[in-house]
Amino acid sequence: MRAATPSTPARRGTLHAGAWALWLLAAASALAVTRNPIYLALVLAWVAVVWQAAKAVPGLMDAERAVPLSPLRFGLFVVVVSAIFNGLMVHIGDIVLLRLPESWPLIGGAITLEALVYGALNGLVLTGLYAAFLLVNQVMPIREMVRLAPRAYYAVAIVISIAVAFVPTTLRQYRQIREAQAVRGRRVQGLRSWLPLALPLLTGGIERALQLAEAMTARGFAGTSTPGHDGWTQAGLVAGLALAAGGLLLRLVWGAGTLGLIVAVAGAVWVAGRRHPQTVYRPAPWRAQEWLVAAGAAWTAAFFLLPLPGLERSSLFFYPYPRLTLPGFSLWIGVSTWGLLAPALLLLRQALITRDA
Amino acid sequence: MIQFEHVSFTYPNAARPALSDISLELPEGELILVIGPSGAGKSTLLRCINGLAPHFSGGVLAGNIRVGEFNPVQATPQVMSRHVGFVFQDPEAQFVMDRVEDEIAFALENAAIAPDEMRVRVEETLDLLDLTPLRDRPLSTLSGGERQRVAIAAVLALRPRILVLDEPTSQLDPKSAEDVLTALVRLNMDLGLTILVAEHRLERVLPYVDQILYLPADGSAPLLDEPRAVLAQIDLAPPLVRLGKALGWQPLPLTIKEGLRFSRRQGKNGQGGNGKMGSGRPSAVTPNEGAPFVAAHNLHAAYGGEEVLHGVSLEVHPQEIVALMGRNGSGKTTLLKCLVGLVRPAQGEVRVGGRSIAGREVADICRELAYLPQDPNSLLFAETVHEELAITLQNHGLMAKRRGEPLPEYATDLLDTLGMARHATSYPRDLSAGERQRAALAAVTVTQPRALLLDEPTRGLDYAAKHQLADLLKGWRAAGMAIVVVTHDVELAAEIADRVVLMSQGEIIAQGEPAQVLGASPLFAPQVAKLFPDSGWLTVEDALQAA
Amino acid sequence: MVDLAAAMRQRSLSLVIYALTTLLGVAAFLYPFWLPAAAQASGSGMAHAADAPFMVSVLVGLCFAVLLLEVQGQGMSAKVVALLGILVAMNATLRFVEAAIPGPGGFSPIFLLIVLGGYVFGARFGFLLGALTLFVSSILTGGMGPWLPYQMFTAGWTGMAAPLCRPLVRGLRAEGKAGEVVVLAAYGGLWGLIFGVVINIWFWPFVSGPAGQYWEPGMSALEGLRRYAVFYVISSLAWDAMRAAGNVALIGVMGLPMLRILRRFRDRFTFEYTPAPAHAAPGAASAPAIAAGRSA
Repeated sequence: MRAATPSTPARRGTLHAGAWALWLLAAASALAVTRNPIYLALVLAWVAVVWQAAKAVPGLMDAERAVPLSPLRFGLFVVVVSAIFNGLMVHIGDIVLLRLPESWPLIGGAITLEALVYGALNGLVLTGLYAAFLLVNQVMPIREMVRLAPRAYYAVAIVISIAVAFVPTTLRQYRQIREAQAVRGRRVQGLRSWLPLALPLLTGGIERALQLAEAMTARGFAGTSTPGHDGWTQAGLVAGLALAAGGLLLRLVWGAGTLGLIVAVAGAVWVAGRRHPQTVYRPAPWRAQEWLVAAGAAWTAAFFLLPLPGLERSSLFFYPYPRLTLPGFSLWIGVSTWGLLAPALLLLRQALITRDA
Repeated sequence: MIQFEHVSFTYPNAARPALSDISLELPEGELILVIGPSGAGKSTLLRCINGLAPHFSGGVLAGNIRVGEFNPVQATPQVMSRHVGFVFQDPEAQFVMDRVEDEIAFALENAAIAPDEMRVRVEETLDLLDLTPLRDRPLSTLSGGERQRVAIAAVLALRPRILVLDEPTSQLDPKSAEDVLTALVRLNMDLGLTILVAEHRLERVLPYVDQILYLPADGSAPLLDEPRAVLAQIDLAPPLVRLGKALGWQPLPLTIKEGLRFSRRQGKNGQGGNGKMGSGRPSAVTPNEGAPFVAAHNLHAAYGGEEVLHGVSLEVHPQEIVALMGRNGSGKTTLLKCLVGLVRPAQGEVRVGGRSIAGREVADICRELAYLPQDPNSLLFAETVHEELAITLQNHGLMAKRRGEPLPEYATDLLDTLGMARHATSYPRDLSAGERQRAALAAVTVTQPRALLLDEPTRGLDYAAKHQLADLLKGWRAAGMAIVVVTHDVELAAEIADRVVLMSQGEIIAQGEPAQVLGASPLFAPQVAKLFPDSGWLTVEDALQAA
Repeated sequence: MVDLAAAMRQRSLSLVIYALTTLLGVAAFLYPFWLPAAAQASGSGMAHAADAPFMVSVLVGLCFAVLLLEVQGQGMSAKVVALLGILVAMNATLRFVEAAIPGPGGFSPIFLLIVLGGYVFGARFGFLLGALTLFVSSILTGGMGPWLPYQMFTAGWTGMAAPLCRPLVRGLRAEGKAGEVVVLAAYGGLWGLIFGVVINIWFWPFVSGPAGQYWEPGMSALEGLRRYAVFYVISSLAWDAMRAAGNVALIGVMGLPMLRILRRFRDRFTFEYTPAPAHAAPGAASAPAIAAGRSA
């Protein structure tokens, strides 16, 4: 017998948090790997499209979390600053714009167009990363993020959940204490006058932690104190780490070492997770649309990361040095970036449905 | 169902046992009220039932406890959580998640209940406690009463057969407390749940209670019997019962309805009210003469962007206690904050000691107008009570900022008056609720102010601590202080107030002598006034004097 | 005494894991300095130089996952979970307040609790307090980015290494005295700087990409370091000095009273009940004694 689990859009994000995580992973790895301006422009454009699509869905962009800086302003600032920085620091390249006296430390020498261009490209990468992370941070409720944690990290997930739940309480407590101290004559002068605020806040917090721990125990939270970690998991982790360390020593970061560590970590997380018998209330459904996003992300990531047979990857690694050339372009890689558009499709559909309703 | 055999329990590093040689047997399916003076071991006894003591606290346990087929000590609290639901005092400190529904599911997730089953249980629990409309709400937006109902729901989702509550309403206002208690009564009546509840507000639950368990402070054997039998033997009782005992009413009335049968007869005997308001009560002082010490005129104030005071005027004279009453959100606390300058009014004026407070610092105003906030914990942070007083004096420049500087004599006298002299070197946070409050009171009044404002001073206090507070305030009134008490506690207002001011929606809707204002109100009338309408009596003492 | 041997083995394996993750983490953090030289020497193509930042991020992430698993895998009792949750909430609230009223430069009040918490409750507690503070405050303030694992790692290390001050304090016989605060303040100041240095390394390849070093003939790790040092001094030293000074001042003023509070409650957080086996017979009258187990 299966209980029907309708998921109202008001209750959860339109898309499973795991799908967003995969999308973010694909976008971030694409951005991290390439410096080719064409590919960068494509990825940035698709991130922007998804951003606009998310804005079209009413109530999705989480209003309770502030946007510290819009990606557009971040981008303008970072691109300019990186270009100038790189231009001043790197003095190679054939197209010399001007020369600073050689005696000036570090920045002295030729200022080249190549260096400026490369700096600006780096700025674009940072902008893209910032926008992608910010977007996911905005559309994914915190509790959904916490639920993504594998069961092996249950205790950590609970810590995060408690912390998020207690931030408003702590703020209220802080205001109360400030008033209480004001009426006994506290005046703000110097660092010491913050003691009357910090100390009751800390004491109150610790007292509350004790009560909370008691309440959790009374509701069957056992923590991870029993029977703990077993030797095999630990040994597996040590082996994985040793492999990765070996890989580093052999200067093959990208080689078998990291792969070994991935396997070891995944294994350890799985084994540790089996010792935690918790279940999940109303798990978010993984539907066709989540598969679509995942497939899109995998499609993009594969072309950017894997040495696929018959794929000319050299266009990914655009270098303006020693002389600025036009970047190469591989149709396959260009088309593969479309995979990042999958969430936009689903969000737009969602927006249309809610508008009609 | 629940059996204690010669149970003793001592906390780690404690000098004497919290429980000594307790033997009792609690029946199934009943609503059992656990009462006793603070420090008698009520909380410890309750915590033994689900194994929190000793598993959580450490300590030495002797004797045998059985709950159903379990020994909670051996079963551990984790296993017991499926059989005993436990709800705590502070509604702020028992939540792990940030939303109602997720919070209820937390215990089920820990117990590894299958998702389909979990869904069903959450739904039925939401219905059971009327929480369905709140299911998606963040917990931080709920009122105290709603939170306690969520806390009850969160433990009931595991379908325990026993529900244990440790002073669940002590932090709540009367309306919220009533909601919680009503929910408990319904759970007991409808589901036959065994419920143990430690509670100070006897008057509300007494009619529904099957048994009372009384734990004496001196460690002698506990009393367990039906309510009338226990109440006849102990001092701790609501006014109705105390009056009934003093006047020899048999069987002892537990509700106003039962009490009225006796009081009507009493009234007919001609001993009681003569029909004239206020005549039953001698007026202690004649206030309103001379200049008021605190005067607010036509205050308009906003709090969080909304206007909460609409043209309030209030005067408080020396040698007067004013009780400020009204529903939650009626603007009482904002009014107090306006008087000390914590909230600056958009319009209107406050004068303290004849001088306007506009433009004066809060620290400056509070030297002559002390303010005790609701939560005394937000005041206390020093290592000793002694040091708390020194810090206030130093803040006001009344004492040198030197280590080991002795307190001035008036400060040590104050500690004596408050009965805190023997705690002068204790860590304030280790004291009982009543003592903590008196420490906080000492910290704000050590400047020898001429007026005092108190916000909900009886919250979380037991009967004994309440009485101590009332006597203290009366003493200060006699010494010439002007006092304003914001309170929900009608019995306190009846006992000490010279004038009651009733607020609603940011306006004063009534003020006058307590007998006039309280006696006439169905919501705020103390029990004695309900028993003897039109008599002007408010407290047991009023009635006994006249009788 | 099989249990004892198992516990010893577990403990030594834990130590190995801490050491390896730290080693790998540091190596990964420092990749911009050794990678160009290494790639040049091995003659591997520029494809690898371009993949490197990505692979290094993966490596940092994995190390972090391992460390987190190891740290929470043992003895996270309800008390530790609750205390961590609430201290993280307090720190995240401080970040809120800080975001609203920016302090001077890189000043941030969060390190106070991270250092003191790690110092009093131990390395594992300190690591989690540091790492989770950064995580929670970044999702609340929207400052989440690819640099987050680096921040979490570094803040975690700050708390994790704080117990290293203990032998020094003990050596000075300064427990509960001013000397203890001096040691901790110096430690906090030091980490205020290290935090900045590490986070800036994350930006470094973007500011002066690996190509800049790769193509320059004779570019060595040392030269890379020298360049970074200049970059750091120009761009961030003043900013980070504020953070270091802030840490010193905060710990100096608040350290002693806060330590007193943390220590006062430490016992209550570590009391755990372990029944004596002799009394475990079902139904028997149980009178087990207490055992004070260190759970943090």
